[in-house]
Amino acid sequence: MLIENNGARPVSAAPASCPDNNGTLPSCAGLAVPYVPFQQNNPQKYSQSEALSNGTLFPGLNLPFRLAVDGSSLPTTPLAELQALEFVVLELGIYLDTHKDDAEAFKLFKQFSAMEKAAKAAYESKYGPITKEAAAAGDSYQWLSDPWPWNFAQNEVK
Amino acid sequence: MFHYEKKLQFPVKIATPNPKLAAFIISQYGGPDGELGASMRYLSQRYSMPYAEAKGLLTDIGTEELGHMEMVAAVVHQLTRNLTDEDIQKNPAFAPYFVDHTTGVYPTAASGFPWTAGSIQSTGDVIADLTEDLAAEQKARLTYDNILRLSDDPDVNNVIRFLREREIVHFQRFGECLRLCKEKMDARNVYLTNPAFDKIQPRG
Repeated sequence: MLIENNGARPVSAAPASCPDNNGTLPSCAGLAVPYVPFQQNNPQKYSQSEALSNGTLFPGLNLPFRLAVDGSSLPTTPLAELQALEFVVLELGIYLDTHKDDAEAFKLFKQFSAMEKAAKAAYESKYGPITKEAAAAGDSYQWLSDPWPWNFAQNEVK
Repeated sequence: MFHYEKKLQFPVKIATPNPKLAAFIISQYGGPDGELGASMRYLSQRYSMPYAEAKGLLTDIGTEELGHMEMVAAVVHQLTRNLTDEDIQKNPAFAPYFVDHTTGVYPTAASGFPWTAGSIQSTGDVIADLTEDLAAEQKARLTYDNILRLSDDPDVNNVIRFLREREIVHFQRFGECLRLCKEKMDARNVYLTNPAFDKIQPRG
């Protein structure tokens, strides 16, 4: 039901008769308006590192171009781990915008949000501020310190 | 309001500069179906949305697109680092961009047309805007498909595959949002009024 926190394989919550990539349309859908089937509540989920690597938390929505069955390779850096946690929070937030009553997803959203907050604080204390708030908490003004996100180096050293 | 976080949404680490590829990829920064247009489209459309789900989704996806804009810019920046005059001279694909912008990041289509709001819409109509958003996600998706056809750099393709998949997830969410909005509109004739403008909703 819930993804595990340590990068383990996803555990499916979808009943075999109704895989999560099959949404539902109303039995008599109206004419002349677009319909996209709803992703069903509590869909199957990847672990956070697989989610970032595939560009989605949901295996049911993972539809790659041509032969790219595997996700992107990610650096094993503290920054990439933080990015993976943040990505799950973002993906769940967008999911909840159209599935606000999915209690399981909301629970996971809270859980990952707390994990991301802790991971961000730990990262910032070691590598420097990501937010102005953290910059203000330092002994001197470290906001201007390298590396900046678009520089090759941010992904090089950390 | 917006706060900046000094990190990217997804790691961008391009080992080998390749200005030719940068000249294609710049299209997803400032081209007709690029990330600048996507964020401006969604962040503009949200104001006229009468329903909370649409306000929330356009805000969240519009904000994510700002992060994608930064990722595409980072790809272009890293692909054009440490170049020499000679690198430019032997690169007819990148030279026209270079003569105008050196290695600055500028919002333009790969074809050279600068970014224009003419490639986006904000109609003030729930169904028209959300249907445009479905199309916009498809157009961005196919542009990423085409970049993957042109690029054999695994570092670049890592990033492009991620961005492409986001378009598919966003398409799904916009489709769901359209369904949620439609449920709040007239059941027999969804086009009876524009709930973003018409104050009186006739009962059918």
